[in-house]
Amino acid sequence: MGNVSLYLEMIRIRFLMMLAYRTNYYSGILIYSINIGAYYFLWQAIYGAQDNIAGMSVSQMTTYVAVAWMARAFYFNNIDREIANEIQEGKVAIEMIRPYHYLGVKTMQGLGEGLFRLLFFSVPGMVIIWLAFPIDFSNSLNVWILFFVSIIFAFIVNTQLNLLTGILTFFLLYNTGLIRGKRVIIDLFSGLLLPISFYPLWAQDIMGFLPFQAISYIPSMIFTEGFVGAEVYSALGIQLFWSLFLIIPIQLLWMVARKQLIVQGG
Amino acid sequence: MFYFSIFFQYAAQYLKTRLSYRTDLVIELFSDLLSQAVNLIFILVVFGHTTLLAGWNREEIIFIYGFFLVPYALFSSFFNIWDFNDRYIVKGEMDRVLTRPIHSLFQIVIERMELESMFGAVTGIVIMFYAGSRLGMELSWYDPFVFFVFVVGGAFIYAGIFISLAAISFWSDSKTDIMPMMYNIGNYGRYPVDIYNSVIRFVLTWVLPFAFVGVYPAAFFLGRSEWYGYAFLTPLMGVIFLGLAIFLWNAGVKRYRGAGN
Amino acid sequence: MNVIEVKDLRKEFTSYSSRSGLKGAFRDLFTRNYKILRAVDDISLQVKQGEMVGYIGENGAGKSTTIKMLTGILTPTSGEVMVNGMNPHKEREKFVQTIGVVFGQRSQLWWDIAVQESFRLLKKVYKVSDEDYDTHMKEVIETLEIGPLLDKPVRKLSLGQRMRCELAAALIHNPPLLFLDEPTIGLDVLVKMKIRGFLKEINRKYKTTILLTTHDLADIEALCERVVLLDEGSIIYDGRLDELQKNWVEGKQVHFEFQHAVEKSQLEEVSTHFDVKWRCGERENQWIAMIDGDDDAISKLMSQVMLHHSISDVKINRVSTEEIIRNIYEEGINHG
Repeated sequence: MGNVSLYLEMIRIRFLMMLAYRTNYYSGILIYSINIGAYYFLWQAIYGAQDNIAGMSVSQMTTYVAVAWMARAFYFNNIDREIANEIQEGKVAIEMIRPYHYLGVKTMQGLGEGLFRLLFFSVPGMVIIWLAFPIDFSNSLNVWILFFVSIIFAFIVNTQLNLLTGILTFFLLYNTGLIRGKRVIIDLFSGLLLPISFYPLWAQDIMGFLPFQAISYIPSMIFTEGFVGAEVYSALGIQLFWSLFLIIPIQLLWMVARKQLIVQGG
Repeated sequence: MFYFSIFFQYAAQYLKTRLSYRTDLVIELFSDLLSQAVNLIFILVVFGHTTLLAGWNREEIIFIYGFFLVPYALFSSFFNIWDFNDRYIVKGEMDRVLTRPIHSLFQIVIERMELESMFGAVTGIVIMFYAGSRLGMELSWYDPFVFFVFVVGGAFIYAGIFISLAAISFWSDSKTDIMPMMYNIGNYGRYPVDIYNSVIRFVLTWVLPFAFVGVYPAAFFLGRSEWYGYAFLTPLMGVIFLGLAIFLWNAGVKRYRGAGN
Repeated sequence: MNVIEVKDLRKEFTSYSSRSGLKGAFRDLFTRNYKILRAVDDISLQVKQGEMVGYIGENGAGKSTTIKMLTGILTPTSGEVMVNGMNPHKEREKFVQTIGVVFGQRSQLWWDIAVQESFRLLKKVYKVSDEDYDTHMKEVIETLEIGPLLDKPVRKLSLGQRMRCELAAALIHNPPLLFLDEPTIGLDVLVKMKIRGFLKEINRKYKTTILLTTHDLADIEALCERVVLLDEGSIIYDGRLDELQKNWVEGKQVHFEFQHAVEKSQLEEVSTHFDVKWRCGERENQWIAMIDGDDDAISKLMSQVMLHHSISDVKINRVSTEEIIRNIYEEGINHG
């Protein structure tokens, strides 16, 4: 990690790039708000006269939806597609001879993008949502701190999955199907669309063994105080486990991919 | 006639290329199926906790979803332009498109088509028949014709919205991250619009009229007569939105600044 | 008959300048500094049928912008354009049927499919009949020697091979007017020569008018009798290439390479009777004499210099086009 200043520069550049597109910025806030708004009403209708489904109240659910989408603005990035494109266009071979770790650079670019959205989408977006809909924000500083720790893990796990999907392009050559599939699976199994506690028990058991819950379900549950006490720390433990565990397949695939790149010459 | 023959030429080439990356094709078909399943799962899970959604039951909501899949499949087969800005403007492919004697939008449609997305229509029809039989629906002689008109209208609406978004790239150098988000908004047209408040209902009906690609036309087949008026507006809205989009596109092409420099 | 008729053509782009730093970028979200940039500044130009015209200028001089307006890609801000009797951007689809375009840095061909499949698609796109295609393309394919490449996918071709195929693709409908934007960029000398030979051939045979931009002036020297020089959006020279050479630098250059170090003053001393200017060469102990006068003067100068300083090499050169053009850009057209 002798390259800290280089990576910081990468984050900064990406940040500036995002700022340069202002139509994107304004429309982004608008679309995010419409999205969360529509979801809010959908959930109101689903709850109907019931005040509690699967242990969550209407207002908890609304907060869950809002925070899940806003957190998504932070952890979401397109580096899987970027890597795939760079592989197909043969640019990765050039990246390999540069004095930095390609995957590290991609991660930092994703982080720059994420930070941008967090500060310029999520924060103003949350204010708009908070004005428009009845949402409960916790007044415990502790919850906010744990939530921020948790979305950092969410970013790490999601980015790792993106790196994995991206690297697979080396072996598949054409990779749009996989990228799309991964996105769908993450939407469903991460708890973005539905809290995992809503699923039938057998499905919850399976999801407990998968890394996707670390992306959306855990941070959102921490924020809505659906998790309390020891639950919070074991949830963070799960996130930590996946963040470390996923390094293994990434490193393995990357080594094989590099070897293949050297043999084929790109 | 010329455009038809060109279309088939491109389609043949497309299939040839696509079949040479078979692994990806299989994964893609699978992931399409998966994404269709995801929405179905959402409905099923939700109805595991409730019986009615604003007075609509589970099978009705599933039927709406099945209907939605058909125009959506048509749209995503031919209007794969969500990355238009990146692919054609930033990378300058638009220069090449404009040196060929075919309308530029049509060229992009045929260059970017993804015929395998048509399988979504099959899924949709299967879902409709499943839900329809559970609801005891009967098929009248005119239903297939009405269905066809509504499907085309719905696909036009989708196409119109996305072409307009793509055309924005001619004016602004902006990256359009809006496109992927727009796909999400499209999903809200699949639920009965009376669950939303008036602002969102207005948006989904007149501004981004995704309700015409889901609940309004499907209401006709479900016999929900209170929505018939909207249902029959579907083809008209389709023509208007696509027409506006093409107008916007043509105006945009005149503003095209070229790549690089 | 004029194939290209351009009058007071102008193209302006609005652009905004970004403020620097994070604070600046943030301010840009709300207000921006716009400015108007004139890429092409009221140029007028006529090209007759069968001409081969070299269009040259530095990067950003407005070459590509002009070509893009002539091909209907860009809409001019003001001025008149008539190409092949049509207004390019107004009747775009009908118009492009009558031109061929090659962008050296952009491919016309489909990346994943065999070259001949691309040709077949383009043949449909340009509505070329089977007979026309067979007779015309057979020749093109033969002259460009791309026969063996036809069943290979484009991504497997080398740059030189691909460029020849690009050229063939642009000629499928046998257009009377051909635009080439940097057609030889990145190619090796052999491929360049092959392409030049081919362009001469179609110009001779079909009277194809060719407008060419390039950074390689050897292309222009080999092909074009007429050059148009562009600087900051304006035409600074439009005329015959040989006249440019004649008017610009009279006389010749003599390159001396001396055996030991020589001072400029020493050289000037021995050549006081000649109309000569000395400048230091790029190599060690090399001096270049630019001399006005006839061959007699040159040989007298040489013997005079050699009498006083021993040399290891001497060369007499005509001033190269590249040097002339470099001079024009450095000193302005009004110098000579």
